[in-house]
Amino acid sequence: MTQNLYITMENVKKSFNGVPVLKNVNLQIEKGEIHALLGENGAGKSTLMNILGGVHQPDSGSIYINEKEVKMTNPRISQEQGISFIHQELNMVSDLKVYENMYLGSELRNKVGFLKVEEMCRQTHEILARLGVDIDPKEYVRNLATSYKQLIEISKALLHKSTVIIMDEPTTSLAEHEVNRLFELMKNLKKSGISIIYISHKLKEIKEVCDRYTVLRDGEMIKSGNVEQEDLDTITKLMVGKSISQNRFVHEHSFGPVMLEVNNLTSLGLFKNIHFKVKKGEIVGFTGLAGDGRTELFESLFGYRKKYTGEIKINDQLIKIDHPRKAVEAGIGLVPKDRKENAIIKDLSVIHNMSLSSIGNFEKSGFIQDNIERDKFQYYKELLNIKVHNPSITIDKLSGGNQQKVIIAKWLEVGADILIFDNPTQGIDVGAKQEIYQQIVALAEQGKSVIILSSEAPEVMRICHTINVMYQGEITARFKGEEATEEEIMHYATGSKREAAKIG
Amino acid sequence: MANTNVKEYNPQVSNAKSRLTWLWSEYSVIIAFIIIFIASSIMNPRFLDINNQLNILMQVSIIGIVALGMTVVMLSGGIDLSVGSVLALVGVMTVLALNASGSILIGIFTALVVGSFAGFLNGLMVAKGRIASFIATLGMMAAARSIALYIAEGGSVSGEVKGFTAIANNDLWIFDYPVIIFFAMTALVYILMHKTRFGRYVYALGSNEKAAMLSAIRVDRIKIAVYSLAGLLVSVAAIIETSRLNSISSSSSGVQYELDAIAAVIIGGTRMTGGRGKIIGTLFGVLILGILNNMMNLMNVSPYLQGFVKGLIIIIAVVFQKRE
Repeated sequence: MTQNLYITMENVKKSFNGVPVLKNVNLQIEKGEIHALLGENGAGKSTLMNILGGVHQPDSGSIYINEKEVKMTNPRISQEQGISFIHQELNMVSDLKVYENMYLGSELRNKVGFLKVEEMCRQTHEILARLGVDIDPKEYVRNLATSYKQLIEISKALLHKSTVIIMDEPTTSLAEHEVNRLFELMKNLKKSGISIIYISHKLKEIKEVCDRYTVLRDGEMIKSGNVEQEDLDTITKLMVGKSISQNRFVHEHSFGPVMLEVNNLTSLGLFKNIHFKVKKGEIVGFTGLAGDGRTELFESLFGYRKKYTGEIKINDQLIKIDHPRKAVEAGIGLVPKDRKENAIIKDLSVIHNMSLSSIGNFEKSGFIQDNIERDKFQYYKELLNIKVHNPSITIDKLSGGNQQKVIIAKWLEVGADILIFDNPTQGIDVGAKQEIYQQIVALAEQGKSVIILSSEAPEVMRICHTINVMYQGEITARFKGEEATEEEIMHYATGSKREAAKIG
Repeated sequence: MANTNVKEYNPQVSNAKSRLTWLWSEYSVIIAFIIIFIASSIMNPRFLDINNQLNILMQVSIIGIVALGMTVVMLSGGIDLSVGSVLALVGVMTVLALNASGSILIGIFTALVVGSFAGFLNGLMVAKGRIASFIATLGMMAAARSIALYIAEGGSVSGEVKGFTAIANNDLWIFDYPVIIFFAMTALVYILMHKTRFGRYVYALGSNEKAAMLSAIRVDRIKIAVYSLAGLLVSVAAIIETSRLNSISSSSSGVQYELDAIAAVIIGGTRMTGGRGKIIGTLFGVLILGILNNMMNLMNVSPYLQGFVKGLIIIIAVVFQKRE
């Protein structure tokens, strides 16, 4: 095994502001392997990779490439050593063309200094063809789907003749079939001798595509080994430090009357003919591939999008929702996806984020009362186990899980009867995920109607009473939570099966 | 904000240092103000003279009131370039109404209506028309000036009603009315921004408009209210400006006020893109500009060079704020 060793990081230590983030970490990457780097948020994965990428300097420790010690003093050196870092947020300039992005910073020029456009296009085309994709090099990047953007990043790495590619959670924004294509690609790259360091939370993917793994926890290297020899539970245990159950969460309890009824909801090009009902105390899931229209459907239901037709009934009363304010007045709350862009106000304090949608509860004769806000936050802090020392700091200083809990507190304070969660556990580590699920189930038990949108079928299977599967803007199947299987859901989500009869 | 930079960790090692950074980032304008104030009193003994101090306050009150409105607009993520032109238009309309009716109250009422209506139009263009605030208010800037010039035929108009000049020229104890109005407005806007939901919504909208909307805030209405408020404050400033000399010039009144107001807001630490900043910061930003103007006059700096110094100060202020 060792004769194949390509990169070795030895005894790497790093601290920020006196807080140790990496304590003596060792990492060994072989030539032509896919190596999973695992750990919860904050375990030190990104820091370790940033050190390899030359972004941060280690306090101590050394890096060897082909048994030669290398000092990665800046990203350029790392790049020259053949290391490419594909970040979770893709570094693409969407207003430039594909080939322009490929050659950004390393444009080919002729003697006079003009760009050699045709040559760049030819080479771009060649590399893309090698990856099995047919994209016009002169297409603008903004017109491409996310998965293609990722391919372009990978092509860029190949263009720079990289021997090691670091991928940070590359599948978060991809649909299932795109993920499969990416995995095929990774396996091909591996055969051509390129090593891949793969950072992900999704253990099933690791099992599918990775050869070896290294687990970090709290800045320490816990274990490294062959993926084949471990089962998923063991790896999860290593990451979290305790075992986490994957069992279904839902306790069966009786539902109340229908709270929300949607008939014939249609919005051109986004979704059509949507029918569903949600009862009091019920958790209803919506799943499907990226671009299936579920987010748009519920943004319309919440009044963020206005161009739709059809009827929405709450408590058997027909209502028209054309602004989120109206939705709130009708008792609907929405915890949106992409927390940073859609949910948190990063310049407001934790408390002010909590009270933002229900300021009326904190006013006396028109003035906001700080003490009422503070007391109320204290209540939610205990209820939801929000970890924060000083709630007057701005919300962006909290971890993802705690931010999400503050947003949930915000909607509880509004007193919404119908709560919509769009991708509620996005970017949240395993432990906090569990707590959020427990909260959601508890809400349903208290009589709230809950709607969960998620692209991860196992997530909706774990907590929902009823599961709707969407494909290209339509509901293609509806299951009882305990009857659904992942395979079955996938069939409907990819459009390979439709069952109009089942959804009536 | 001091020791919580790294999520939940509590780094005690750098506590003292981070406290200092926090102090600086929160109160840098006030610290800068104190330094400039002390330096001025050392450089020129006449600076500390009570009459000179009151004179500075008097001189900044008009720009100060305009800058308060500008702060609110900039906190919401916009900008208002039309304030100077609208001030001239309001002034002209006020004098006409005053002379036609002979009533000071009707004059003031006209001023408030014209100013807030111009602001309302700005808000409508930004919120409903989805025009970038820079463009919408640039249009208003040209249009309002043009109407003022047309009505006054390019010249000045003077008031003919006795008592109107009292607004800007009388005083209470040692304070001139304009100074009192400025401080009262500062207090009102401060309360509005920090103690009411309107203020909370403006900060939210300036920081993240989509999240504000998804939090069930009527973003469009808030925007319209923000620009209307800025217009209203411009009318207050216009009343003082007109009352001071009992006349207003359609061509030269209010020229470059938008730049001075924006400068004060920026020096006061408000972020150009919105969501972050303080009314108190703007107050001190206005005072800093006032002291600088005053010192340059006291020290006989050529008026042609005064713009250069002001420009330098604005850039230095922004560079220091970037540090945090």
